[in-house]
Amino acid sequence: MIGLLNLMRNKRVFMLMIGLICFIAIIGFSLSDRKNLTWPEMFLKDTTGFVQQWFYKPAGYIAGFFEDLRELRDVYEENEQLRLTAAAYARDKVKYNWVEKENERLQRELNFTEQQKQMYDYNYLIAQVISVSNDANNRTMVINLGSKNGVKPDMAVTTVDGLIGIVSSVTPFTAAVTPITELNEASPTFGSIAATIEGRETESFGILSSYNKETGRLVMTKIAETDKMAIGDTVITSGLGNTYPRGLRVGTVETKQVGDFGLTYTATVKLFASFDHLTEVFVVQPPETEEQAQ
Amino acid sequence: MSMNRIVAWMLLLFMMEGGLVPWLIPEGFGDRIIPHFIFVIVMYSALYGNRHQALMLGAGFGLLQDIVYYGHLIGAHAFIMGLIGYFAGVLLERKRPTVMMALTMIGFGCILYDTTLFYLYKVFRITDAAYAWALLNHILPSLFLQLAFALAVYIPARRIFESRSKTAPEGEEE
Repeated sequence: MIGLLNLMRNKRVFMLMIGLICFIAIIGFSLSDRKNLTWPEMFLKDTTGFVQQWFYKPAGYIAGFFEDLRELRDVYEENEQLRLTAAAYARDKVKYNWVEKENERLQRELNFTEQQKQMYDYNYLIAQVISVSNDANNRTMVINLGSKNGVKPDMAVTTVDGLIGIVSSVTPFTAAVTPITELNEASPTFGSIAATIEGRETESFGILSSYNKETGRLVMTKIAETDKMAIGDTVITSGLGNTYPRGLRVGTVETKQVGDFGLTYTATVKLFASFDHLTEVFVVQPPETEEQAQ
Repeated sequence: MSMNRIVAWMLLLFMMEGGLVPWLIPEGFGDRIIPHFIFVIVMYSALYGNRHQALMLGAGFGLLQDIVYYGHLIGAHAFIMGLIGYFAGVLLERKRPTVMMALTMIGFGCILYDTTLFYLYKVFRITDAAYAWALLNHILPSLFLQLAFALAVYIPARRIFESRSKTAPEGEEE
């Protein structure tokens, strides 16, 4: 009897060890920079995504309605500001048209290839968030556009305020978005983003390397000593490296100090976008080039 | 209630957890109060059902969550949820705990769950935050949400899992 009990206990420990090894193997396997999912994963994600969009969207509309009621008082002020912006926009539009024409003419004269001309013709796909992960260290969001709609891994995702994340994996009808708050140099799954300053795109440069969860700020490193970056400047993505699109607003520079080795500067960046109650987001789709199509 | 019905209800809860609950959490607390409702149900199934059932439900729904919200790694939730469910079952399966006992167990279970998850992410260098910060930032605030939910579903959850373990033969079954 005691022997049998011992065997049972040993069997349990044995099972536990097998389970542990199995899970460590699965974790190790999934931890690599994996962009293509297997079909069971795609099937599960698509099915849950299909059901979940019935919950998230109506909830968003109801919450939005009450928020609108609360903000009714601010509408006049907002209207005033919007009118000012519209006037400024009309002025800028005239200028922009001139510059664009000029630019096209110059590109023609310099014999730009078709690919070079279309390099920055981004297409914004509007998507709905359908669910948010309930894990503090993995705040992945699921959106309702997938590979059938032309979404691919590594595309940037923004709101009207600013950049919020990168598409990490796609299924036919949904896509998972890793928020920019998961940005971490040491992490094996999410790299860094090249950035610059609005208005001085050719002079300033920095790398958005990690997100400090404790202060809630992005850390921008590798800023040159001669850089004229100032506190309050708007940080945008630079598009260097051609992985992420250029010209997406990220946040404002909050502090700037000498970096770890004293040769470069680091800055902290306050994000424009808020991650609570997200509904509509935009997936930035770069133009299809020939090498990507293959 | 049959296992199929329990799984169906839990699937519904899983959908709500990702799709509806983020809207009920006030703005600004989105990354501080984080629901783990499925885990609470797994704990109930361990306390009032049996440990094998908790292991299966925990591993199954953990894996579902891992796959649906796949960001960095797969398997963390499945492993931890199944294991905590199983050991809660081993500890208290035959005792039929009272409300306070059940809530205390669920509370400790939640802290253990979040702590293990945190250290797992720390080991794989997904996060570099300190544990003390994580504890105050999200583990303790979300504990209150979990306890409130546990209290709200105490009666139906207990009835479902107890009636099931009464009708089903005692002992080993999946």
